[in-house]
Amino acid sequence: MSERPQAEAKPDPRLSLDTWAVLVALFAAALIRLGIISRVPW
Amino acid sequence: MAAAIALTQDPPISISTKFLRLLPGIALLFAIGFAGKLLEKNINAYAKGHHWAFPNIEYVLWAILIGLVISNVFGLAEIFKPGVATYEFWLKAGIVLLGSRFLLGDVWKLGGVSLLLVVIEITGSLAFMTFLGRAFGLRPKLTTLLAVGSAVCGVSAIIATKGAIDADEEDSSFAIAAILALGAIALFTFPLIGHALHLSDHAYGIWSGLAVDNTAEAAAAGALYSDAAAKLAILTKTTRNALIGFVVLGYAIHWARKGQAHAVGNKATFLWQKFPKFVLGFLLISLLATVGFFTKDQNTALANLSRWAFLLTFAGVGLRTNVREMRKQGLRPFVVGFIGEIAIALFTLVLVIVTGHFYGF
Repeated sequence: MSERPQAEAKPDPRLSLDTWAVLVALFAAALIRLGIISRVPW
Repeated sequence: MAAAIALTQDPPISISTKFLRLLPGIALLFAIGFAGKLLEKNINAYAKGHHWAFPNIEYVLWAILIGLVISNVFGLAEIFKPGVATYEFWLKAGIVLLGSRFLLGDVWKLGGVSLLLVVIEITGSLAFMTFLGRAFGLRPKLTTLLAVGSAVCGVSAIIATKGAIDADEEDSSFAIAAILALGAIALFTFPLIGHALHLSDHAYGIWSGLAVDNTAEAAAAGALYSDAAAKLAILTKTTRNALIGFVVLGYAIHWARKGQAHAVGNKATFLWQKFPKFVLGFLLISLLATVGFFTKDQNTALANLSRWAFLLTFAGVGLRTNVREMRKQGLRPFVVGFIGEIAIALFTLVLVIVTGHFYGF
C-alpha cells in the first residue's frame, strides 16, 4: 500500500502552552533572583 | 464574495479581551485551592483542639473534592470555562519552578532509574493495551489512542497522537474520557493502596509517576501521600512525558505505512514539535539551583511559588472531572481502559518494589 502524500502543515507562529509556561516560570524566577519578589509565603 | 465572507466572519478578539476572559476561571481556581488550604488548616486545628481522631486531609484532596462538587452538582458556568482550562498551564509552570528543589545530580540519578522503569512501563503498557483493544474488538485507532494515553501521558499524548495518525474526533473523545475517568479513580485509590502496603515516599512517588496517566493526577496522587512522594511522582511522570515524541512518531509511521495517515516529514522536527518544552525549563531551573544561582531563601520562594501553581492545578482537576459527560462516552473503551490500568498498576507496583529492593528505597 502506498503512503499518502505528505501534508506539510504550515508551522504555527503562536507559542505553545508549554513554551508560555516555561517563559512565565523563568520570568517569575528572574523576579525572585533580582529581589523584586523577596518572599513567597505558603 | 470576499465582502460576503468578511461580513460573516467574527470580529478578531484582542489579546486584552482574551486575557480578561481568563480571569473569572483563574479566580475560581484560586478560590477553590485557597479554600482547600484553609479547610486543611482549620479542620486539623479544630480536631486537635477537641482531641478528635480525625485523619489529616491535605489541601489537595479538599481542592479536588470542592471542584468535583461544583462541576457535578452545580455545573460550571460558561464564564469560568476559559480560565479553568488554564489549569494545565499552571501545572507546567509549577513543574518548571519545582526544578529548584532538585539538584541536577539527583535528577541524573533518579531520572536514570526512572528512565529505565519508564521504558519498561511504556513497552509493556503499549503491548498489553493493544492486545486488550483487539480482544474487545475496539476500532484500531481507538486502541492506539487508549494505548498511548495509558502508556505515556494521558490527554496530551492522545491529542498529539490524534493529529499524527488522523484519528476521528469520536475516537479521541472516547479515549480522553476513559483516561480521565481512570485518572480520577487512581487519584483516590493509589494513596490508600500505598498506605496499606506501607510503601516508602520514594517507592510510592515513582509508582504514581509510572502508573497514573495524566500529569496533573500523577502530581495530585503523589501530593496526597506526601511532599516527597509528590516530588518523585512529578520527576518520574516528567521522564515519561519526555518520551512522548518517540511513541507518537512510531505510531505515525505505523499508520502512514498502512496508508491511513499522512506521512511524517522530517523526523527530528516532528520529535521537537512533540517534545514537552517544560521538561527543558525544569532542567534549566534545576541546573541554576545546582550551581548556586539562587540563595536558600530564593530557592524556598521558588518552591512556594511552584506550590501555588499546583494549588490552581488541583482545583482544576476536580472542576474538569464531570461524571455525566464521561458516562455519555459509552462503556467498552472504559472497560478496556479499566482492565488495562489495573494490569499496568500491578505491573509497575511489582517493578517498583523489585527495583527498590536493589536501590534501597
